[in-house]
Amino acid sequence: MEIKTFTVADLKTALVSEDFWLTKTLPITKHRALSYCRNPRAEEDDPVLLVAYQDIQVIGYLGILPDKIFVNDAVYKLGWLTSWWVDPSCATAGVGAILLFKALNAYDQYIGVSGVSRMARKALHASQKFMALKPLQGLDIRLRLNVTRDILRRLPTLKIFRVLFKIFDVMMDEVVNLRSFFWQQRNNSGQRLTFEYISTIDEETDHFIQQHQQYDLTRKEKSVLSWIMNYPWILSAPLKDAASKRYYFSSRADRFSYLGVKVFEHHNEMIGFFLLKVRDDRMSVVYSYFESRHATSIMAAVFHHALVMNMSILRLYDEQLVAGFSDLGCPCWSAKKKSREFSLSKAFAGIPLANYRLQGGDGDLAFY
Amino acid sequence: MHAKITQMLFSVIDELNQLRPPDEHLAKDLGTPLAGDSGRLDSVGLINLIAVTEQKAAAELGRPLLLTDDRTLSQVNQVFRTLGTLADYIHLRLNEQNDG
Repeated sequence: MEIKTFTVADLKTALVSEDFWLTKTLPITKHRALSYCRNPRAEEDDPVLLVAYQDIQVIGYLGILPDKIFVNDAVYKLGWLTSWWVDPSCATAGVGAILLFKALNAYDQYIGVSGVSRMARKALHASQKFMALKPLQGLDIRLRLNVTRDILRRLPTLKIFRVLFKIFDVMMDEVVNLRSFFWQQRNNSGQRLTFEYISTIDEETDHFIQQHQQYDLTRKEKSVLSWIMNYPWILSAPLKDAASKRYYFSSRADRFSYLGVKVFEHHNEMIGFFLLKVRDDRMSVVYSYFESRHATSIMAAVFHHALVMNMSILRLYDEQLVAGFSDLGCPCWSAKKKSREFSLSKAFAGIPLANYRLQGGDGDLAFY
Repeated sequence: MHAKITQMLFSVIDELNQLRPPDEHLAKDLGTPLAGDSGRLDSVGLINLIAVTEQKAAAELGRPLLLTDDRTLSQVNQVFRTLGTLADYIHLRLNEQNDG
């Protein structure tokens, strides 16, 4: 077994190499590799991908996303672990352990993990090298029932009743539309607020964000948010392509996009900015910036977008937006509590992190 | 020293076994396979073994021991092939500390 460490520079070379893409299992997709290479917080010699090879086949890999954490006036460089995979047939070869410890060593023990799987959680706990941060408490708001998809996913044998389910969905959608109509009549945000959509961060938005993120742990500058929006890890595509069949993690969705929304109130006063991620029929607020007094208006704006974009689920992790959702009485079928876990390596133990905020897109979560 | 290391590793095995179902308990025997083709530990198990071994080396041998450095990681399947190979490697590393 050989472990190869790919820095940003190595990955740029790999992107144009033919051999790198010949393995039966791919350790990364091309568009994801391109994203890693364009990360404004990554240096050329930062390790971003560890790959375990047995002969010439990939038997494990671990991606690392270089980032920065800001506490008071101090800046700490770290790598977020992402896409940790080991070939199940090599379970006892120690591949997963080697990848984890190599990643820790590559970043001087400054590593973060976001939204971990059950197995990854067990591994991190076993290593005794990580500490859990206070999880983000959010909401999964179901706007449309979409029983056809949910039932057929669980019980594919009921496919013969598909038409009936569809009819039921259409009827339920009409109920949603009616409730939404009355909600929008009651809530006058539609008249008060205006929006501007952006696909990359402009100067006005950057200035606004800088004024509203002093307590954000991973403070984002213009280049970072624009990079997220323009270098996705998941592409909108109708079918699985050859590469996505050879890559273990998500690389395509029927619909995937980001939308930056600037929110204005009377006299063109900018009161907020949020970055939406749309994946199939789910919308998430990955980053949001506003003053507390505008939380309800921003939540109304987010909800309005989810309705008009026909989303089935809206996911929020900002505690002020979650509170705003309760205050607004938005129509929905259900609102389930969701939490997002974050862990940092114990190298961060002495750093006062408690008063700082994580957002729903932090770590690698903005990309999935 | 080797006997102390073996005793320390047996206490590591006791701790690991508390987290494993009875039919997957590791034997307190230097021939017990750990990692590799005939190994008994998956990645989580190996990570746990390394963490507990480092901890117990400090507590029971009074010596800091690092098993996650690049030197060890480059020979995981040799170092962790059996409990005996791990004991030999720890002995080697502690001797190096003495010499250094």
